[in-house]
Amino acid sequence: MSTAAAGVRVRTRGAAAAPAGWGAWSVAGAVLAFLVVFLLVPVGLVVYTAFVDGAGAFTLGHFGNFFGQSLFTEAFVNSLVVALASVAVASLIAVPLAYLTVRFEFRGALLIQTLGVLPLVMPPFVGAVALQLIFGRNGSVNLLLDEWFGFKVPIMDGLVGVVFVESIHYFPFILLNLVAAMRNIDGAMEESAQNLGARGLRLFRRIIFPLAMPGFLAGAALVFVKVFDDLGTPLVMGVTNMLAPQAYLRITSVGIDDPMGYVISVLMIGFSILALWLAARMTAGRDYATLQKGGGSLQRRRLGRGQAVLAYGWIALVLAVVLAPHLAILLMSFARVWSFSVLPDAYTLDHYAAVFADAQHMIGNTLLYCLLAAGLDVLIGTAIAWLILRTTLPARRWLDSLASIALAIPGLVLAIGYLRLFRGVDLPFTDTPVITSWVLIMLAYAVRRLPYALRACMAALQQVHVSLEEAAQSLGATRWRTARRVMVPLMAGGILAGFVTSFVTAAVELSATILLTSAESQAPMSYGIYLYMQSAAGRGPGAALGVLAVVVVALGTWASHRFAERSRTPERATA
Amino acid sequence: MKKVSLEARHISLSYGSHEVLRDIDLRVEPGEFFALLGPSGSGKSTLLRLIAGFNRHQRGELLVDGQDITGVPPHARNIGMVFQSYALWPHLNVWDNVAFGLVERRETRDAVRRKVAAALELVGLADYAKRRPGQLSGGQQQRVALARTVVVEPRLLLLDEPLSNLDKNLRVQMRDELKRLQRTLGLTTVFVTHDQEEAMTTADRMAVLDHGVLQQVGSATGLFDEPVNRFVAGFVGTANLLEGRVEAVEEDGSVRFDAQGVGPVRLPAAALAGPPPAPGPAAMAFRPHQVLLQAPAEPTDPARVWLDGTVESAEFLGEFSRYRLRVGRAALVADQPHYAGHPVLAPGAFVRLGIAPAQVRFLSA
Amino acid sequence: MPIRSAATRAPRIRTLAAASLLGAIGALAQAGTVTVITSFSKDLTDPYKKAFEAANAGIRLEVLNKNTTAAIAYIKELPAGQRPDVMWASAPDAFEVLARDKLLTAAPEVKNPHTPAKIGNYPINDPNGLYYGQALAGYGMMWNTRYLQANKLPAPKEWSDLARPEYFGHVAISSPSRSGTTHLTVETLLQGEGWDKGWTQLLEIMGNCAAVTDRSFGVPDGVNSGQFGIGLVIDFFGLAGKYSGFPVEFAYPSVTAVVPANIGLVTGAKNADEAKKFIAFTLSREGQQILLEPRISRLPVLPYADLKVPAGYPDIQAVARRAKVQFDSQLSESRYQVVVSLFDQMVTFRLKELQAATKAIHDAEKKLKARPSAQGSDLVKQARGFAYSPLVGADTAKNEQFLELFRKNRRDVAVSKQLTGQEELWAGKAKANYAKATELANQAAALAK
Repeated sequence: MSTAAAGVRVRTRGAAAAPAGWGAWSVAGAVLAFLVVFLLVPVGLVVYTAFVDGAGAFTLGHFGNFFGQSLFTEAFVNSLVVALASVAVASLIAVPLAYLTVRFEFRGALLIQTLGVLPLVMPPFVGAVALQLIFGRNGSVNLLLDEWFGFKVPIMDGLVGVVFVESIHYFPFILLNLVAAMRNIDGAMEESAQNLGARGLRLFRRIIFPLAMPGFLAGAALVFVKVFDDLGTPLVMGVTNMLAPQAYLRITSVGIDDPMGYVISVLMIGFSILALWLAARMTAGRDYATLQKGGGSLQRRRLGRGQAVLAYGWIALVLAVVLAPHLAILLMSFARVWSFSVLPDAYTLDHYAAVFADAQHMIGNTLLYCLLAAGLDVLIGTAIAWLILRTTLPARRWLDSLASIALAIPGLVLAIGYLRLFRGVDLPFTDTPVITSWVLIMLAYAVRRLPYALRACMAALQQVHVSLEEAAQSLGATRWRTARRVMVPLMAGGILAGFVTSFVTAAVELSATILLTSAESQAPMSYGIYLYMQSAAGRGPGAALGVLAVVVVALGTWASHRFAERSRTPERATA
Repeated sequence: MKKVSLEARHISLSYGSHEVLRDIDLRVEPGEFFALLGPSGSGKSTLLRLIAGFNRHQRGELLVDGQDITGVPPHARNIGMVFQSYALWPHLNVWDNVAFGLVERRETRDAVRRKVAAALELVGLADYAKRRPGQLSGGQQQRVALARTVVVEPRLLLLDEPLSNLDKNLRVQMRDELKRLQRTLGLTTVFVTHDQEEAMTTADRMAVLDHGVLQQVGSATGLFDEPVNRFVAGFVGTANLLEGRVEAVEEDGSVRFDAQGVGPVRLPAAALAGPPPAPGPAAMAFRPHQVLLQAPAEPTDPARVWLDGTVESAEFLGEFSRYRLRVGRAALVADQPHYAGHPVLAPGAFVRLGIAPAQVRFLSA
Repeated sequence: MPIRSAATRAPRIRTLAAASLLGAIGALAQAGTVTVITSFSKDLTDPYKKAFEAANAGIRLEVLNKNTTAAIAYIKELPAGQRPDVMWASAPDAFEVLARDKLLTAAPEVKNPHTPAKIGNYPINDPNGLYYGQALAGYGMMWNTRYLQANKLPAPKEWSDLARPEYFGHVAISSPSRSGTTHLTVETLLQGEGWDKGWTQLLEIMGNCAAVTDRSFGVPDGVNSGQFGIGLVIDFFGLAGKYSGFPVEFAYPSVTAVVPANIGLVTGAKNADEAKKFIAFTLSREGQQILLEPRISRLPVLPYADLKVPAGYPDIQAVARRAKVQFDSQLSESRYQVVVSLFDQMVTFRLKELQAATKAIHDAEKKLKARPSAQGSDLVKQARGFAYSPLVGADTAKNEQFLELFRKNRRDVAVSKQLTGQEELWAGKAKANYAKATELANQAAALAK
């Protein structure tokens, strides 16, 4: 969610200071070991398997077979198209909204801020089910349209449906990044352009948007990667001719040895890395945060009458569409029967009762896995931040890159890697196979969420001036005690924000969960929702559980913002 | 507290290929208030941090109380340091900030209470114990930082540009307080500054650094009156430097100096201070405030050496006027004390400059 | 006193908790737990779990929810002693596969003596005694009454009805490769009508399909919510929907088979003894009664006389007697891969083209009805021939070598290549056929002016 650019120049004072002691080395070693075993090796194994045949020799045969089958090439093209289309539609939604926020004196600014957060609290696969009831062929909207105007809009069918669901879920990434980038533009840039005769749309096109481009690209790249790798949404919508569902189907029906699943995994990793790298390339060196001290941001104008109508109209439309899944899932959770009608027939609280009676363990599981994963994340994130910013270990920046690679690894691929790597391995001290225990689920969450926690911890530690720690050391505190008494307490706000972000995004993860959950008693809420949606009588409780998940995520997001805000208040070092 | 000495022997420090400190040799006597003076980039802060343990030198020894502490980690050196930003912890109140070091030393609760109260009393902040750093003024923050450092009774006190964050009046006030505190505690103190006024008014002795090389060590008057090279002459106070050659030293001891762009200057022997300079290239150095400006018509004092010049510009600075003069092809500066009723000389005016030979120094470096 | 941030303490506590949990997890999954791997939904497994655990204090039931193919793969990949205890699923050929690989163990003591030996002509239990019928199911059509009403469609009675033009775009089915029950439905049709005629009818119906869903539940789900009008489903999907209150109805066509859903003890199970107790429970009167709950709506193997049956509940015995098809599960299992692959290549992945061809054919026939033309009718017949003929002839389908190819291991690059080559061939041919059919039908329509 944060701007992907992390171009911070690190200057560790005292570069000729005491060379890193055994403390730093052992911490680095532990972190490296974790990353190697639970990220590098599984992913490496997946990539390796795609390139070897049954005898173990290198072969491109699997790739050949992949591209030889029109089914797979179709899936590949579809995934690309869907991801790009989602970026396009998301941009269509986000760019006007960003422009409105930054450009105009606007009372609806709060509304837009809400728009920037609302979609993200509902995981797309939950929304997809509910959206069928509102936008499906015989959903509320189409029934009304048919009644009033005699036509229907097949917006939920097939690939178009996937694009629709993903766009309205992910557009905030672009919105937030773009707004942040535009806010950083020095007003003088615009004023000098105006001085030279540019105004209006030309001004926007030639000056403002190019300056804000890095922000836009960062958001767009994120959206591309997430849509390209998403398994849950197409699966729930019944769309199978895309890469992620195909891989999942192959692995589960043909078995863990099916090479196609691995080929697809390699393609997915490749493209994700490509997208992120391209975005980084295009934003590198264009540090357009030009806002100088004493300078102002872009001018804000008042809206004309007609413009105001258009603006509010657009916002209302987007708001309605964005709220649709929330509304739908809420209705579904209370609906007794909702079939071929604009609204449910009757309402009931039974579904919530059923959830609290039967699904308590799912809520407990989610709490367990996600709390552990988030805890692990901030622990490792703090350790890496400390290593990078406070020690002089050689090649320590690589740890950051290594941990951040997890962003480009689809959950599906990590799960496949784990299943393959830990096949036949038992949990230490027991004879339970690792792949049947919940430990892997928790680790998958931890590994995939680490980049977010790491960013938060880095930002938090950057705000703690190193002199605060040196002062403690000069007063007799060892490095460890300095970390405990000074460094971590001052990072607390950022750490908590990272913790909550990790927790909240792990709570609604489905791609890896589907593959790694063996038993229903292990199921976290996300998997539980998926299970419930598999039976006629389960739709109601599934929706109820979905509502609970949304509430958890919303609370967590709010809490995270509060912690991050609090840590930014001037309780910092008086420098 | 026992007073300890600090000695740096042939200390060199480099970052990669960049040499930051070159062969530094100096000694700070027990109980001394010692200043490290130099422009930014001179390495003075690096040296200070080296003493504290945050930088590590590649060559040389650092002795505190006669023992080499090279390699000893910062937390074990018992050397107190007050940082330029004060580095007060925002999540702790004043009391807890000051108590920090004592807690690290596992002192008993009573001891902590006693000592912290005493330290706050010493810096005059006894009533501020519960405040947070964010609620204090700059001067108050510095005092808390001081209290925090001295309460653990360090062997040595290091101050990193302690006054640079304060406004002018506060600076003067804090200067005195620092001096008073140091006398009371008897702590060997090293402080770093780029402000020569600060160094001269507070330090017992000072060292001037430039580009990592120790230029000169001595008292303020020593450095002011007897600079060893052009840099010190120009850094500690302002100096006129007339480049040229010492042609010869006559039998009677007078010096014949050929000033570039000005012409020959003869300085009578009797008035010269110190041993005569060796013949060769040198700069004739004298201070602006020691120059006497007169109108060409006025009678000249034979004890002085007189040069003719024109006023290029004049700045009125209240207590004195600073004139930039052109003498021959050389540019010189003269400061004249100001009295009401005596007008400032206008640019273009012809003047005569009277230089007192006793105040002239010949610098070959 | 400095603030002791929760963030400093918490990670330590959590690591401790995690460590102790790890130990506990290992201990828990030991004695006292029966692991059941099943494709059945929560609606079914939850009541069984509750009832069984209530009746057997100290035994915990662990449910692994996986679809049939995934379940087989899962069992195969685990070593003996680590496998789940009980396999419980609808598709009999899945059990055949497991039996053949010696992954099932006989447990004759679990049988309920009141269970009849056959349903119709079909044995309820495995003749080799490796698995046991636990419930019965037939295959049929479910439809959404509101949908049909809004679109003015009559309720279908037989499979062949679904090929009619008025049902175009209103039908839904799941893919046999993804759904064991759909595969059985398809097999039932093929066995009932014969290979060639069966495929023709199948393809005609598929031409009317709006979607081929990924999960078998996608069909009843869609019909329940009104997304689709009619679905080809296993009976309990339709009945459960109806009894849950959705505006849906279900009917058995005459070309149906009644086939047991089975339960069996996995070889090398972790907890065989207590697993047997569970199997026996599901076959007992109490266990059978659970099947009749409205949310589940399945048909028991025990005779109705022994149970409390709700009013209006389908009489499965009658259906079985009426049923034209005697399901041959050996045959089904032997040609499983071919059927599944062929269906996917001809239907699942070519749905758009098939739909286009069907639409063109329907249009042409409609036009020709108004203005008959001999040539036009001939063209339409040809179009039908192209669109609705199976790419594999009946004889090839019986060829053992051909079938063997499809059973080989795909990990072998050469085999994989061969198979994908074959599939690619079919895909291409199907596409070409449908295009040709569309073309011909359009020509026919043009003639009817």
